[in-house]
Amino acid sequence: MKNIVLKTNELTKKYKNFIALDKVNLTIEKGDIYGLIGRNGAGKTTLMKIISTLSSKTDGEFELFECNNKNASEVKRRIGCLIENPAFYPNMSAYDNLKYYAIQKGIVDINQINEALKLVGLENVKKKKFKNFSLGMKQRLAIALAVMDHPDFIILDEPINGLDPIGISDLRNTFKTLNEQRGITILISSHILSELYALATKFCIIEHGKVIKELTKEELDLECSKCICIKTDDTKKAAIILEKELKTTNYKVIDQREIRLYDYLDHANQVNKALATNDVNVMSIIETGISLEDYFITILKEAN
Amino acid sequence: MLNMFKSDLYRILKGKAIYVTFFVIVIMSLVSCIGMSAGHIGLSTGASNINMEDPQFVLELSRANSLKEVREVMTRKGAFPLDKDIISQNNNLYYMFIIIIVIVITTDFSNKTIKNTLSSAVSRKKYYFSKALLVLFLATIMILFNNYLSYFLNYWINGKEFTTSFLEFSKLTIIQLPLLYGIVSLLICFAFVFKKTSLFNTVSIPFIMITQLIVIIITNLFKLKANWFYEYEFQFALEKIVNHPNNKYLISIMILGCMYVLLFNVIGYYSFHKTEIK
Repeated sequence: MKNIVLKTNELTKKYKNFIALDKVNLTIEKGDIYGLIGRNGAGKTTLMKIISTLSSKTDGEFELFECNNKNASEVKRRIGCLIENPAFYPNMSAYDNLKYYAIQKGIVDINQINEALKLVGLENVKKKKFKNFSLGMKQRLAIALAVMDHPDFIILDEPINGLDPIGISDLRNTFKTLNEQRGITILISSHILSELYALATKFCIIEHGKVIKELTKEELDLECSKCICIKTDDTKKAAIILEKELKTTNYKVIDQREIRLYDYLDHANQVNKALATNDVNVMSIIETGISLEDYFITILKEAN
Repeated sequence: MLNMFKSDLYRILKGKAIYVTFFVIVIMSLVSCIGMSAGHIGLSTGASNINMEDPQFVLELSRANSLKEVREVMTRKGAFPLDKDIISQNNNLYYMFIIIIVIVITTDFSNKTIKNTLSSAVSRKKYYFSKALLVLFLATIMILFNNYLSYFLNYWINGKEFTTSFLEFSKLTIIQLPLLYGIVSLLICFAFVFKKTSLFNTVSIPFIMITQLIVIIITNLFKLKANWFYEYEFQFALEKIVNHPNNKYLISIMILGCMYVLLFNVIGYYSFHKTEIK
């Protein structure tokens, strides 16, 4: 049985007449890199703020490391956060800023500051004042703070904003390393879908405060990959024909009326012929497959 | 909470503001001791040990063009406890307390660094109380530094005849503490209610003057007696407990100070507890 890091139950947040989160249910297991996808104002940051106790919930509850939200403060030390913009004392250097938080968190080994700075590539500018940092450097420093005390769970809200392509790539590798080598669970949101896709192992699409879809990377691949979509009234018989006549098991039964076939992509007519010959009623047979962006837009349109 | 304390001290001592504040206190003390007259701010009647009703003396004082001349005029009037006069004007510290609050509390809200602390280090309760205690701790150091620096500078510059006994001076210092803590608690409350440094400054800097102004306008308009207000008003009370202490009044001022500490910290904490961190 996998350890559950975060579990929300009907989590709701209301601001007067506006519902920012509407009965959100999601589960993040240990080792997941959980990508939150959603438009501006969809509720991603609100969700992260509630989990990190920066904001209070209106209704519902959540569990962090199987500890109820009322006792969330007890497990705070196991969390590292970067929510919205990086925030540090402008007149202090990168090193001094991290040292301030190291003392605050009771970190005894000061080497952890240098380790964190090295991890995000800021070891050469550690004496530079925060106010003189570029946006990308500020973002890196915030990530260094989030990982400095070896947390079990890090919450990253738009962490790659303002980074150059090499910086994005470096950070992606850093996050993967932290996840694979240290077993850190990551909750991350980003507008750059391709980046999120390259990093996350699970995805959650949020719109108007509601979770529209929660799926694994494999499921997303299946949803987006090129395939032949067969609409029929007898999917069981169609599946047998595909295996016996066309010698393929590379298909997925979506529901009672739809099968997706990932072979014979340029030979839809051959598939149609095989099904028709064996008395399977084919209502439609079309070649499909969409980009991540198109998939996201389609899902949002369906939700609205 | 101790870690919060240590980290804030580390940050504050790395900055310049705290040193500038203490430097200003040194200057204030020096000017008061050399000029032999404590500062006047707001409605304070000021140096009550000197007979300001003597028109010749007031005229001479107003004609003095330098600290040296002021000193000559004051010395001619004869000996008086200048150190008591100086600490009776401790309402000046109100503005120094504002600086402490800004560097300890509101800077966290303005720079949004409070997010980092609350999201992964401490609870709101610990945050509030460690900040409030640190402010009170620094305020205590500031009060003691101001009072004893003035005491010893006065002793050194003006001599024994202008100095109270050390024991009495220490007693007066302790008597002032509850009311000063009450005022510091009011500022802590303002900091957690208004959060941003700019808004906090806008409210706290003119607060005492505006409160006095409102009371004066109301009492004049409606021809009310405002003695009760002046008895317990911050500046007057600080002056009166030093220069005209009586047990009944001292006890009521100490109770008032303790009530301020309790009331303003309860308001401050509940306001902060419910607030959304943006």
